Formats: sequence, structure tokens, C-alpha cells
Amino acid sequence: MVRIVFRSVVFFWLLVGVLASCKKMDLTPTDRFTELNFWESGENVNNALNNVYNRMYNSQLFFYNEALSDNAYTRLGISSGFPDVITSGSFTTTLARFIDEWNYYYTGIKAANIFLDNVDKNKTLDAPTKERMKAEVRFVRAFHYFKLTNWWGDVPLLKTDISPDDAKTIGRTPKAEVVKFITDELDAVAAILPTNVQYSANDRGRITKAAAKALKARVLLYQGNRMAEVVAICEDLMNNQSANGSYSLVPKYEDVFSPTNEYNSEVILDLQYVPNLRTWGEYIDFAPLSAGARSNNMAPTQELVNSYVMLNGKRINETGSGYDENNPYAGRDPRLAATVVYNGATWRNANGTTQTIYIKPGSDPDASAKNEYKASGQGTATGYYWRKYYDPTATAGFNSGLNLILIRYAEVLLMYAEAKNALGQMTQEVWNKTIRPLRVRAGFTDPAALSFPSTGDLTAIIRNERRTEFAMEGLRIDDIRRWKIAEQVLNGWTHGAKFGDPSVDNGYLRVQLRNFDPSRHYLWPVPAAELGKNGNLSQNPNY
Amino acid sequence: MLMFLLKLPASGRQRPATSLLAKCKRIVLFIACLQCLSVLAYSQITAQGKVVNESNSPVAGVTVALKNSTTATTTDEAGNFTLRLPSANAVLVFSSIGYTTRELPAGTNMSVQLQPLNNTLGEVVVVGYGTQRRVSVSGAVDKISAETIEGKPVANVSQALQGTSPNLIIQQRNFEPGQGLNINIRGLGTLGNNDPLVVIDGIVGGDINLLNPTDIESVSVLKDAGTAAIYGSRAANGVLLITTKKGRKNQKPTLSYEGIYGITHPEIMAQPVHAWENAYYKNESLVNSGRQPVYSASNIQQIAAQGDGDWRLSSILKNAAQQNHSISIRGGGETNTYLMSFGYLNQENNFIGPNYGWKRYNLRLNQSTEVGKFRLTTILSYVKSDGKDHSSSTGTLTVDASRVPLLYNFQDSLGRYLTNAVSSEFNPKAILENGGYRRYNNDEVFGSFTGELSVTRDLKIRGVFGGTVRSNQTFGRRMQLSFLPGGSYGQDREVYDDNYKSLLTNTQLIAEYKKRFGFHDVTLLAGGSNESFKSEGNSIRKTLTDPTFGIPTTGTVVDPNSANSNQRTSESSLSSLFGRAGYSYNDKYIGEFSFRYDGSSNFPKEGRWGFFPSVSAAWRLTEEGFLNNFRTHVGDMKLRASYGMLGNQNVSPYQYQTSYFNYANAYGFNNNIVGGAGFTLGNPEITWEKATTANIGLDAELLRKKLFVSFDVFDKTTSDILVARDDVPALFGAGFPNYNAAKVRNRGWETSITYRIPGKTFRHSFNFNIADNKNELLNYTFGAQEQVLRKEEFEFVRRVGLPITVYQGFRRDGYFQTLDDTKTYAKPANATVVPGDIRFKDKNGDGVIDDQDKYILGNPFPRYTFGFTYNINFKGFDAQVFIQGVGRRELMIRGELVEPFHVGYSGTMYTHQTDYWTPTNPNAKWPRLAEAGSPSNQNNYRTGSDIYLFDAAYARLKNVQIGYSLPVSVAERAHLKGARIYLTGQNLATLTKLDFIDPENSEFGNNTSMGASANSGRAYPLPVFYGVGLNVTF
Repeated sequence: MVRIVFRSVVFFWLLVGVLASCKKMDLTPTDRFTELNFWESGENVNNALNNVYNRMYNSQLFFYNEALSDNAYTRLGISSGFPDVITSGSFTTTLARFIDEWNYYYTGIKAANIFLDNVDKNKTLDAPTKERMKAEVRFVRAFHYFKLTNWWGDVPLLKTDISPDDAKTIGRTPKAEVVKFITDELDAVAAILPTNVQYSANDRGRITKAAAKALKARVLLYQGNRMAEVVAICEDLMNNQSANGSYSLVPKYEDVFSPTNEYNSEVILDLQYVPNLRTWGEYIDFAPLSAGARSNNMAPTQELVNSYVMLNGKRINETGSGYDENNPYAGRDPRLAATVVYNGATWRNANGTTQTIYIKPGSDPDASAKNEYKASGQGTATGYYWRKYYDPTATAGFNSGLNLILIRYAEVLLMYAEAKNALGQMTQEVWNKTIRPLRVRAGFTDPAALSFPSTGDLTAIIRNERRTEFAMEGLRIDDIRRWKIAEQVLNGWTHGAKFGDPSVDNGYLRVQLRNFDPSRHYLWPVPAAELGKNGNLSQNPNY
Repeated sequence: MLMFLLKLPASGRQRPATSLLAKCKRIVLFIACLQCLSVLAYSQITAQGKVVNESNSPVAGVTVALKNSTTATTTDEAGNFTLRLPSANAVLVFSSIGYTTRELPAGTNMSVQLQPLNNTLGEVVVVGYGTQRRVSVSGAVDKISAETIEGKPVANVSQALQGTSPNLIIQQRNFEPGQGLNINIRGLGTLGNNDPLVVIDGIVGGDINLLNPTDIESVSVLKDAGTAAIYGSRAANGVLLITTKKGRKNQKPTLSYEGIYGITHPEIMAQPVHAWENAYYKNESLVNSGRQPVYSASNIQQIAAQGDGDWRLSSILKNAAQQNHSISIRGGGETNTYLMSFGYLNQENNFIGPNYGWKRYNLRLNQSTEVGKFRLTTILSYVKSDGKDHSSSTGTLTVDASRVPLLYNFQDSLGRYLTNAVSSEFNPKAILENGGYRRYNNDEVFGSFTGELSVTRDLKIRGVFGGTVRSNQTFGRRMQLSFLPGGSYGQDREVYDDNYKSLLTNTQLIAEYKKRFGFHDVTLLAGGSNESFKSEGNSIRKTLTDPTFGIPTTGTVVDPNSANSNQRTSESSLSSLFGRAGYSYNDKYIGEFSFRYDGSSNFPKEGRWGFFPSVSAAWRLTEEGFLNNFRTHVGDMKLRASYGMLGNQNVSPYQYQTSYFNYANAYGFNNNIVGGAGFTLGNPEITWEKATTANIGLDAELLRKKLFVSFDVFDKTTSDILVARDDVPALFGAGFPNYNAAKVRNRGWETSITYRIPGKTFRHSFNFNIADNKNELLNYTFGAQEQVLRKEEFEFVRRVGLPITVYQGFRRDGYFQTLDDTKTYAKPANATVVPGDIRFKDKNGDGVIDDQDKYILGNPFPRYTFGFTYNINFKGFDAQVFIQGVGRRELMIRGELVEPFHVGYSGTMYTHQTDYWTPTNPNAKWPRLAEAGSPSNQNNYRTGSDIYLFDAAYARLKNVQIGYSLPVSVAERAHLKGARIYLTGQNLATLTKLDFIDPENSEFGNNTSMGASANSGRAYPLPVFYGVGLNVTF
């Protein structure tokens, strides 16, 4: 009996043991590589590079940064990175935008650093290919640092991948040093990268030698005190196209942004989108409602509209400009109509038909009056809609595969003009190479607008040219900040069209009361959450 | 295989056992014969009769045994029994759970009335891998019996359990058919998954919401380490053990029908103001913002004259039918039992549109067969659930239907669907009626086979093989719609199929030994098990399909988010050894030890195995001689205590490995799409969460067994909680997998009080239970003390020293009443305020409102959860009232329900918003009206404050039943064993301070995850149910 019990007990535990251990416990995912084998494949390396491109920049930042400037207003900032809260001036260091954008760039930097630290583990790709790939990655990393240092000044500079412990102790590198790193990197990669001519057609969209040089010019331009270097780079890009690649202005301004004209001769660097497969959809909140928009979430301001000169080259408030406040859109810089939809403008639908956009209250013959300005509702808050970057080939819901241009040749010309002017070297010759061709291309014919102005504030003219040429392309807020004009243009009421009470601001709609404090707002606060986790991070002044 | 394994030890033991038994039988027979001879009576008689309860209803399943012998039978459904006896001079013992045992001389036409025991200590409780008499339970376990569930018009078991057991916290934050509930035992102990382990008929991993509520025999809630440690690494959140009904031996086939049919009415709480009123408010809001009014006096008159339109939530809702029907047959013979049941649920959705709702079909076969000492129990269940809902999101439809001013209609006179300036391009009515659908087609097959061998009378060996196959499919289609004057829906004409298939297998081998030596009661249990889980899924998505059939056509795009099975495979395995040893001395001193040793594939080799022990003890102090007097006059008392460690392994697999993955559509070159590769960091040191739990309890039966009180306090500290580390700045550039970093302490108490008043005509019973728990974050991640996440206007905070997740924001301090006020009081930097705007408390008194002035505003997790049940019986009539609620909870809601004309999205005000500040209404509930973008709006609504904070305490009249049972005599004439008809109502009334939204509404699931979105209160409305039920037994 005892023996039987003993035997049974032993047998029982044996069984239990077998049962408990028969199942495999070291399980691995069915769709992933490990750190060890990933880099062996050239395909994977290519994908890792594409991932770096994917994180370079995005459409929301591209478009909605316009609402941080005096060019646009958004009322639904929650869904667009809180530009309205920032412009109101009453934000705190915990505002989600700050940590989100900081995180965005550092995530991109990590992807780049991991690529650079590991790519040489690959033995299947040839050395020149790997060098080129590294150069592309280094460009993107420099681009991220440029954005970071624009917003925050001093930022932690990470040249290789860091550990969590490093992240908790690393301090901010002075801005000058970050800028030096950026420009050195851009110099280095410019020497490696192919030109737009050298790349095969299938590689259109890759970062080029000219992109590295043009970005370096922009970085130096933003510093304000290195204009001679800007001039040198721009001259190199303008005059030495056999070495740098071939670029020219597209004959018609609107064509620069047209889906039938992607990869045009003006594009130096653009974000790549592919119809149906990789698209951006912000336009559903930009277009007139009758054009199929869902609502209007960002609208051009009256201040932007006012900045477009008359066909005779005069500002609207200059004597002899011929500006008629009651017929305000007549006789204006044609780029206005190419950028902004104003009351009475004609909209070309996707199917080729046209419609008139009635925005002035009570003007629409159709009872539904979808586009009309109303004090409430989903329509425009300013009395204007956007036109630039409208893609008639976009699929339903405005999902567009149109590339978004980050640097174009027109900017090289305007950087050149601005730098020459800053050096006191603005001449008719420079004018004729820069602003004149831009105005001709825009459709100006009046010699008064095309010829070198003998009088007037050249700085103001060049700055205004930059504003109107690049409206809705995300450059304006950077310009305001580097020119240090924010306390003038980002304070007080921002306005819409003249649809309001005539006794208030002469009838121009008040859309937002803005507040800019020059003692602190020129730099964004280092996100509060970051300071809490890394005692060596310092805060910007007055936050 | 299993059979073979079980037979081996059996054959070794067969012979000695049989011979011993044979010997005993012979002796008994011999003595019996001697007795027969001594009285010279006839050799055998047949005792026969009927057993009824205190209200003369038949009692089934009563054991009728010849005293001091093994001869026994049980009563059938009609309470009848027949037992052949060796002697007429015999004494029969009648015993049944829940009744006092009676001994009576045998007779031929006996009528035996049993009195209810009113002694919960006498009942049997299902515990892990076995059962225990309540008297010898030393841990914290609560039993919920079938009666608690009966008659409630519920769609699933979780709904039926709400409020029935203290600290079984169930929150129904979404009432839409097919939606799950938050279930939680004793509150939050961890930052991740707090779902309790669900064990159905001994097998882990079932879906509680797929059960047919009428199939349930009992639910045991294992709350402490003493009872739950045997489930080891998964028991830290408590365990729900669900046992389904079985047939009984020697029971004639009984056919039962149970059904409820009723109507649910959607209760809409937030009502837009009349269109003309709204025009007036809009004007005021504009003027207050320095803008021009948009409606002239004649406009407003005209709007008032034309009346309100039908664009409102009630137009897209309807009353909906809900019905459950169950038919079961149960019975058994000498060596077998069986139960077959079929259940049907049809819960229509309250949204208009083509047949939205859920249907569930349950089929169950529970049977057991004995062959000698071997018993095979088979449980098979099949569930089909079949759901359909609209193609959009309920929140979007709800909000688009409810924040449009009553100026508009959904359709014009020709029936064409319209849009308007506020709703922009959507028409919810059109989307519901014609916009497509999602169809869910889910199957679950559950089976378990248990072979049990009684090696000796005391030793049993049990082998269990069980498994669950789940196959779920969702087919969805969005139809393209165009509206007038513009706007459209479903332009992408998406069609998709999502498929999911999983297999869970569970193998167990258990030996159980129970023996009583005099006053010593010993139980030993040892076992091993393996659970293996594998799931695979795929998803086929296409857009721009053919508008009629949704099939591919010119221009159709295969969505890059389509996935094949190799991308959606997950596998895990858990192997375990477990055991329990119990000892009881004369039912007075009770002690128990249990453990589980678990190894999980979710962890790396080094941290894979964990040992989870517990000890518990109980002392029935009134059994002591010196308390005899107390026991006689006051009642029984038992003290319980337990201590142990439990684990939590609710983590996703593979987290210990750093991996790289390729993905589609990362970027494009020359308009050709290219893929990308990302990486996921691993944590090579990941291991279990460990919860150390102490529990002290008291059970008392007082006032001559009329009053039963149970009270428990517990203290649980969970360490090594898996949490994504948050100590590393974002500049690190990547997210983290979970680390064993956090620590949470959770303390609380619970009590249940039952009072029964038996009587000849009236019988009442009351049950009240209430519980509380409070958690505190003791450690966060690697020294990081807090995480603050901005959620729209306010913030979620995790901070050491506070409950797991709390709300943060400013506190209001009345209004700026005068221009002087606006100059003197603190306000946010750069804010422009006017009288009627909110003042915020300047917490640190530095004269400016900034981040330093934020307060912790509240805890979104329910506290003081309670349930109250009252039953009354009067002759054939019965009534039951069930109230359930939450004593304290804070809820933050933002959006149009709080802010008038919410950020320009909303076009209307609601009736609950009209008490706003004006110079003549200075103590209003809400600040002055102002437009989005105005400084006042920025100050009052964009600066997150307790204006969004609400008190979500409530008491809900959850269920009322009024029934009538046919008297036995009448029923018998109709050839019925019993019949009850009743009226039943659910969610009939709610006592709450919230007047515009249901107080159960929450943005949080069962873990108050910081990942939740701020709550905008756009929820499916509370359904109020009125119906009738019928139970018939043949």
C-alpha cells in the first residue's frame, strides 16, 4: 500500500513536470528583426534611411506654423499644435506644443544617430552608397537641429546615439556651437551628395548637394551677422549650376505648387508625398466650404492681404498706389489671388468648372451661402480662405499626394537680395537678378514695379517681397523672429476682412487679440517636463 | 492520452480498495440482518414522500439518507423521493444546502418540511481548483448565487453583477449594445491592467460577457491572497470563479423556460435651448466679445414663429426592444447528470437605422458520467454573437446631432439629407440610415473534459483538458453619401474585413486528498498546469471600391494598413505548479497554506519563474466553551486573516527583446512609395509585478441567524509594477518598453450586511454592501516623481503620494464682479479679463495665475461603491428592489456640454447652461458668455479649471421586479412544476447631481490610463428598460 502510494506520488509529479515543461517558453515575434541581424540586409538599411526621411518634417508643422505668424489665424488650435495659444501670449511651459515639437525633433535625431552608428555593420552595400546614405541622414539631422535652435536657442547637441542616463544629464549646448555643427555638417555632406542632375529620375526627392548648400545659406541668413557667407553660397548656387545642379524659376507662380508640376526646376528640397499612399489632408480645413472643405480651421489675415503690393509696385497705403478700399482686390500683386481666396474670387473646381466664392455677408445669391463670413459656424473666421497648395487631383477628403516644398530657388534669390542689401550692396544689378525676375514671373508688367526703386526703404521692400512670395510656406514666423519685429506685428488685434462694425477698427473684423512679450517670447520655453527629468537643462529667460 | 495517464495509478489500487469495501458491506449487511431478525419484520420497505420548504414549495436535490448508512437518494424537481430501505424501523436524514437537517422515521407517504438554515456558514463555496464549506473558509471570498442574477434584464453577466458584492466594482461607462464594462476587484493596484482573472468552470481565459446569465450557478469573488494565491501570477487583481449549472443525479428531466421581453428607452439628458433663445444667447456672446450681433430682433421673432427643427439627438434615437430567452433541460440518473441549455439574446440598438444591435446565441452541454470510480465531466459551450452597428463613431454622431441649434432639420420636405453651417459636412441621420455598417460575427467554442478518479475514498486524481477557440470577424463598409447643399460622407468607400482567431489550451493534473481523523480535518491539493495561447489576425482594407457592392474596381486602393497573419500573431505560454494544504480542528481553528509557481514566456529566462505563496487562518471564536453563552444569545463569529503574495503578468509578449520592424509607405521618391524601418526598445530585465496582500475579516451571524455581517479590511502593496519609464527626458528620442519600477499601495474595506425577516405570510430580506479602497502611488519610475499630461484644457497627473491618476487644474474663486476686481485680483499672465469672467485661486499668492497655482482636482475612480437589495415575499407575490451606486467620484467633462458654443464647433447652448453671469446675476453657475478666441473665453474655458469638474456620485434604482408565482396546486393542475411571471425594470431612476450626463460616464478604462482622451461626454444615452419576464418549469 505504502509502496503504491509512493509510486503514485512520484509518478504524479513526473507527469506534472512533463506537462508543465513541454511547452516552448522562448517565443519570438513572427514579423520582426533583432538588433543582431537587422543591419545585415541592404534592403533594411534602405528602409532605415527612408524612416529618417519620414521623420524629417510633417504637413501639420508646415502649414499651421503660418498661424504662429501675422499671416494667418486658427481658432481650433487644439488640433493644430496650439498656435492660437502661443499667439495669445498666455501660455505656460507645460503647453503640449512645446514638448511635442521638442520630442518630434529628438525622435528624428535618434533615428538618424542610430542609422549612423550602425550602418557600417552592413557588408552588402558598397562604400560610396553608404557614404551617400549617411550624408542624407546627416542632412536631416542638421535640419532638425536648425529647427530646434530656431525655437529654443541653446539645445542639447547629440552627435551619436545616447543612453537613457546620458539623456538625464546632458546640458544645453550654446546656440553658436549648434549652428557651427549644422554648418560644418552641411559643408561635409554637400561635398558628398549628388546634384539633382546626377541623381537618376527614380531618386527625385532625395537630398541634393544644392539642398545642403541652400539650407546652409538659410541657417547663416537667420544668424543675421554672416551675410557675406550667405552671398557667397547664393552666388555659388546661382552661377555655378554645373557643379551644384540646375535650378531656375518656374515661368508661372501658380505652377510651382501644382500637382502636374511636381519636381519642377525651382524645387531644391521638398517633402515627398505619394497619391493615395502617403498623403497629407490639412486642406480640408483651408479651402472654401463650397469647394468641399469640412470647415475652416486656418484663414489668412487682413494683414497678409494688405501686404500684397499694387501692380504698380506701391504699398496699398502709399500715395498714388491707386488702392480702393471698397474694391480692395483689384490691381494687386497677382500672387495674392494665387495664395488667398477673397470675396468674389473665382475658384476652379477639380472637374475644371469654376465658381465664384462669395464671402461678404449677404452677397451669395445661393441661399445656403456656405462660404459667407458668419460670426459663428464652420466658415472662415477672417473673411478669407486659402488657395496656395490646393490640389485638384486630391482624393476625397482632400488627401493629397502633392509634395510640400521646403526650399525653392526663389528663396535663394531672395536670400541673396536680403544679404546683399544688409551688406549695403543692393544695386540695380542685384535687383535685376532677384526681385525683378520674381515679379516678372508673378505677372507684374508695370515698369514701376519691375525696375530698381530709386527711393524707398529697400529693406522693407525686400522683406515684404519675401512675405508675399512665401506666404503659406511656413517661413514668415521665422522671419518675424529673426528680424525682431514680433512686438510690432504680433501684438494687438489681428484682423479679418472689412465685414464688421464700421465703428470698430474701421470695420475690419477683430479675430484675435495677440500678445507678444519681447523679453521672453523670442525663445520658446524648454518644456517643463524636460526640466523636471534632467537637472542640467536650463530654462530660457523669463519663463 | 489523458485517459491512459489516469488509468495507470487506478489499476494499481483497484483491488485492495474493492476488497475492503466488500468487507465493510458484508459487515453492514450482517448487522442489518441481525436487526431484521430481532424485530421479525418484513425484509424491505420503500420509503417515499415529498420534501417542501417553509412556503410549501417543493425542494429538489435534498439528500435523503438512511441514518448511519450509505443508502441515500435525492429528491427530484417536484421534491419527491423514493428510497428502498432494509427496515421499516429506519430513520431518514434529510439534508440540503441552505436548510436545517432533519431526522424523521421512515414512512410511505411522508411530507417533510425543511426550514431554511439562514446560515451562510453552512453553504459550499467554489474556490480555486475545488470547493470548500463556508465554515472552513479562511480567506476573503464572496459568493454570488444565481438568484442574484435572475430576473434582471441584462445583456451580459457583468451588468448583472454590478452592485452585488462589496468591492466588486463594475462601471458601465458605455451603454451601447456590445460594449464591455469596467470590472475591478478592490480598486486599482497597478498602473496597467486591473482586470480580474476570470475562470469559468475551472478554465482560465473565458469571456464573462459571452456567458448566458441564466446558465450561471454561482460566482465566487476571490479577493485576497489567501484565496487567490493558487492562481499565482495572474491573481493580483482578484479572481472571478464562475460555475455553470449542472444536472443532478436521480433527477427526472426538467424543462425550464426563462424569458424577458421589454423596451429600452434612451434617456437624453442634455437639451438644446429653443432656436430663438439660442439666437438671443449667441448675440449676447458676440456682443460680449466686442463683435456685432448676428440676429436682429425680427430675425429672432421669425425663428420663434417658425418653431424648432428636428436636428437633435432624439431624432436619431428610438425605443428599442430587448429580449432574452433560455430553455434548459436538466436531469440525471444513478451515474450521470446532464444539462442542455439554449439561450438567445436580442438587444436592439437605440440608434435609428437598419437593424443595429447585438444578438447572442448560447448553446451549452454540461454532463458527467460515472463508471465505477471514474467520473468524466464534459462541458461544451458554443456562443455566437452577431452584432451590427453604424459605420461612424458614436461620439461623432452624438455630438453632430446634439450641438446644432434647433434651427435646422435633418431632411428637407423631399426627404433629402441636409447639412448646415454648424454640423459642417455631416448628417448623422443619413449616416445612420444609409452610411454603411460594421458587422461583427464572433464565435467561441469552449470545451473542457475532466476525468476524475477516486483512488480511495479520500484521494482523487483529476485530469483536465480544456480549451477555447475564438474566431471573430468584423466586416465594415462605408457608403458614399452626398448632402445638400454640400458635404459628403464615406468618399473613401472603404470596405474591410478584420479577422481574429485564437486558441487557448489548458491542461491540468490535480491530486486532492481530504481526510477527517476525529477532530482533525486535513485537505491537500497539488497540481500542475500549462496554458498556451496563440492568436492570429489579419485585416484586409480597401478604399475607393465599387459603390454598389464594395468590390474592387478601377481606382481601388489596397489600404497600407492591411495586415496579414504573420504581422498579427501573438503567442504566450504559462506553466505552473500549485498546491494547497488545509487543516481544521473541529471547525474551530482553521489554517491553510497555498502557493503557485509560475513560469511565463512573456519574460526572459532569468525572470521567468515566480513563486507566490499565501497563508491564512480562521478562528471561530464562538465555538470556544467560554463563549457558549454569547453564542446562544448573540450568535456565531469567525475571525479570518490572510497574508500572501500575488503576481501580475498582464503584459504584452516580447517586451524583453529590442526589435526592428519594416513598415510600408514611409516615404516616396519620384512619386513611388517606399517602406521604412523602425525599432522598438526592449527591456531585458522585465519580470512579474508582485502584490503583497494582507486581509483581516470577520463573519458574524447574529440575532438568531437573522442578521449576517461580514467585514474585511485589506492592505495590498504592489511593487515592480510595469510601467513605461518616464524618468528619461524626451530628448532621448524614443519611447520605452515597460520596466518594473512603480509601486502602489491600495488599502480598503468592505462590508456586507444581510437581514432576513422570515414569516408565515410576509418574508423580507435586506442586503446592503458598501466598500471603499484608496490607492496611493509610492514609487513612479526610476526616481521620477510625477508625470503630467495635458488633456485639452486640463491635465492628468500621476504623482507619488497621490492616487494613481488624478485630475489637475485651477480652482475657481468666484467671478470678477467689478472693474476694480479685474485690476486687483491675480490673473493669468497677459490675460485680459472683464467682470463676469472667472477668478482663479492664486494658490501661492504671487499675484499671477500660472502653473504653480494648479490644484489636484479629484480622483476619477469610484469610491464608496454600494449595492442595496430588498426582497419581499407575500404568498405567491414577490418584489425586489435593487439600488446600486457610487458614493464618491470626481469627473471632468469638457466640450460643448460645459462650454457654450464650444470653440466654434458647437452652435447651441443647452438648458443647463443658461444660468450664466450677467451684472444682474452675479452669483451665476457659469461665467459670462463670450466667443471662442475672445480674452474672456480664453480665461474662462481655455484655462483648465474646476469649471470642468463634476461630482459623479450617484444612487441608481437599477432593478425592480414584481412577480407572481403560481401556487404549487394550481401549477400541478397545469402540469407545471412552477411558474413565475414578473414585471422588471432596469435603470429606472438615478439620484445624482449631474443633470446633463450619466454619472457613470468616464474617459477611463479599468486602469485610469494616462493615455485616455479628455472626456467630452459624447456618449450613447442611458437605456431605461421596462419589460415582463416569465419563468416556467415543466
